[in-house]
Amino acid sequence: MVQFLQQLINGLSIGSVYALMAVGYSLVYSIMNFSNFAHGGVIMLGAYFGFFSLTLLKLPFAAAFLLASVGTFFVAIIVERVAYKPLRERRAPFLYFIISAMGASILLENLVIATIGPTFRTYPEVFSKALIELGPLAVGRLDLIIFLISAVSLTLLILFIDKTKLGKAIQAASYNVKACALMGVNTDRVILTVFGLGGFLAGIAGVFFGMKYTVYPQIGNITTKSFIAAVFGGLGSLPGAVLGSVLLGVIETFVAGYLSSQFRDLIAFVILIAVLVLRPTGIMGKVTEDKA
Amino acid sequence: MDWTYIQGILMLAGINMIAVLGLSLLTGFTGLFSFGHAGFMAIGAYVGAWISASPASTPAGLGLPFILAIVGGGAAAGAVSYLIGRISLNLKGDYFCIATLGFGEAIRLIFNNVNRFGGARGWPGVPGKSTFVAILVADVVAVLFLANLVKSRHGRNMIAVREEELAAQIAGIDVFKYKMISLIISAVYAGVAGVFFAHYMTFIQPKMFSLTKSTELTIIVIFGGLGSISGSVLGALVLTALPEVLRAFEIWRLVFYGAAVILIMVSRPKGLMGGMELTPSGIRKVVAERNALREAKAKLLAEAQSGEED
Amino acid sequence: MAAILHIRDLTKKFGGLTAVDAVSFDVSEGGIVGLIGPNGAGKTTIFNLITGVYKPTSGSIEFRGKSIVGLEPFRIADMGVTRTFQNIRLFKNLSVFDNVLTACHLNANYSFAEAILRLPRFRTQEKALTAKAEDLLGIMGLLGYRDLIANNLPYGLQRRLEIVRALALNPSLLLLDEPAAGMNPDETEQLMRLIGRIRNDFKLSVLVIEHHMDLIMGVCEHIVVLNFGEKIAQGTADEVSKNPQVIEAYLGTSEEAADA
Repeated sequence: MVQFLQQLINGLSIGSVYALMAVGYSLVYSIMNFSNFAHGGVIMLGAYFGFFSLTLLKLPFAAAFLLASVGTFFVAIIVERVAYKPLRERRAPFLYFIISAMGASILLENLVIATIGPTFRTYPEVFSKALIELGPLAVGRLDLIIFLISAVSLTLLILFIDKTKLGKAIQAASYNVKACALMGVNTDRVILTVFGLGGFLAGIAGVFFGMKYTVYPQIGNITTKSFIAAVFGGLGSLPGAVLGSVLLGVIETFVAGYLSSQFRDLIAFVILIAVLVLRPTGIMGKVTEDKA
Repeated sequence: MDWTYIQGILMLAGINMIAVLGLSLLTGFTGLFSFGHAGFMAIGAYVGAWISASPASTPAGLGLPFILAIVGGGAAAGAVSYLIGRISLNLKGDYFCIATLGFGEAIRLIFNNVNRFGGARGWPGVPGKSTFVAILVADVVAVLFLANLVKSRHGRNMIAVREEELAAQIAGIDVFKYKMISLIISAVYAGVAGVFFAHYMTFIQPKMFSLTKSTELTIIVIFGGLGSISGSVLGALVLTALPEVLRAFEIWRLVFYGAAVILIMVSRPKGLMGGMELTPSGIRKVVAERNALREAKAKLLAEAQSGEED
Repeated sequence: MAAILHIRDLTKKFGGLTAVDAVSFDVSEGGIVGLIGPNGAGKTTIFNLITGVYKPTSGSIEFRGKSIVGLEPFRIADMGVTRTFQNIRLFKNLSVFDNVLTACHLNANYSFAEAILRLPRFRTQEKALTAKAEDLLGIMGLLGYRDLIANNLPYGLQRRLEIVRALALNPSLLLLDEPAAGMNPDETEQLMRLIGRIRNDFKLSVLVIEHHMDLIMGVCEHIVVLNFGEKIAQGTADEVSKNPQVIEAYLGTSEEAADA
């Protein structure tokens, strides 16, 4: 039982990081209906921003954390402006967006390899490795902090979407972008906001990911799993992305803990295939019938 | 630069070309995007290696002739694609694309864990049977097969699916069937390319067939121009050679590559050839289309003018 | 007269919305039937149900005495039911000729192998397909635009090309969804005559959705009127236009639709 709870907490911790990444995919998908594969590169940059803020600039953690998030906020917006905006203006099919995203992803990854180098880097120890005892459970400080900050960030995001005017515009645009534009909503601003929000959270996720594991240029590939989590929950749905991520994190941890760590990465794809077969719209995605 | 070096690049381009031509049918002619074709290449490479590698080597193979490896590798990739198609071809929008991405990665991870085939460490003992001539012959066959296919009712049905799926259905075209056939043919092409790749490198490893490889194939198809066989051929030659040419820039070449991909999407999305073919009939067609457009414009203009005079 | 299409109690619900509510009507062999009603009356939904794009919630659709409910659209097309679309759906990037040639595919049966090896059956059948496509374009006055990319055709001719493409399937029932939308009175007049001619020359039955009252009154022998998914009247043009319910529901309240 103790081991079970222990695994559960580990799973929730990694699941919450996936959630920070997955909402970025989902936000963009809900408005623009394409999978923004450049998001992985943005997350990777977030990990590097945080790393260098701590090591080179010797900033305190909170400042490094903020700098990384603000940095990725701008990166995400620049990616949108350079790689997607011209396509939007031309009303290009979604496939062009995906390819452009792949191009951006290749560019970001190799830009880092060319300038910083391909080596793995380890975050300095910000939080002591000491375990916190919660009754019979021993929880890593880092895991707990990651979980708490992620939960707070995601709650803030959902409040933003629910309560603010801009958030409501995002919701409206996710139903019908064209109608929104006709109603006088500035869709360009909505799209920038969506990329900015996704980028900001990507920075947080990148820092956490780097702290939990290591920093290297191919982190973006791992983030494919958070994309799968978004599909699992239902692409385009924020609560779905969070739920899918947490579930994926927990399932992964249990598979690694009880079966074999070799299957850890495979399970995400098994879930993906199962979801696509059984319920392609994911747990919380909307089911629609095409109008002819 | 000596001939051996150039020949090496050409062989690699020729191998890529086979996979690209297959993907061209799926993406350029049928309108389906895949980010999992490296997975089919992996299946072809591994099954091919298993068929032709010597029983004495580790991992052990069957020691059968190369031609059987080609047939077996292609068939295995085709069979797996059939199963994948059954599951994913009914999915809407980019869910098919996501499914192929998932399958491609899953195939790679499975090979990573199959120790019989060398696991993540790879398979070193593949006989080097991909000769320049063999690859050339395979390319010619691949081009002819595809060119004849797309210029038949079957090919036209696939193009109709790309253009307007619902209208294709209403025109009596079994959309699912034609998507499936297109997927299987493209997977067989990728599988055969995988066999040649394995027998060219003589060493294969699951990580050679990652998402990056799948993306590269799709990028070549788009670079060459959707719906153009000559575009795919040129694309495979140019984009396989380009990184070699850029080798002087070493680590910066993939940065340029990524930037170039964005630039193409943003500025010339039709690719090099954009639906045109570099053949006499292809050129005649383009000329006829241009003339027709000019005539139609003149006609409309004349009508508008005579309308004003009334 | 025997009915080629026989629809009984056809119902389609989208969630809580009933788009088509227990509608019944027939299309007689060789007849031209008009389907009219205000926007949102369920006309296009009925087309989608007949052609298999949607599955009905309940009710029956029989074509030549056989149920076609639950069949895939391409099978229904294969049996001889085809249509045009309200928002034109051509193969936009293909030439006018290729649009029609593609749709002619049901007239050939050569296999993949025969195509790839360019065997004699492929050659003769392809020649026949080309001839048929050119024939159809000639009859419908589009041969002059043979090599034009469909997307570059003037709007009115795009609608006409859609009809040609439908005819390439040798249909016995043709469904036209607002064929005169966006046309001026002159073009509408032409289209009216064209529809009559097609019916006679190709020996088929026609079901047409239209807002242009002139076209409906001029060409349809029988008219079915829908409102809010229900059939409120049917009969000849004369009968329908005198029906008080129709006047109230359609002609009366929605003038711009009536003379649009």
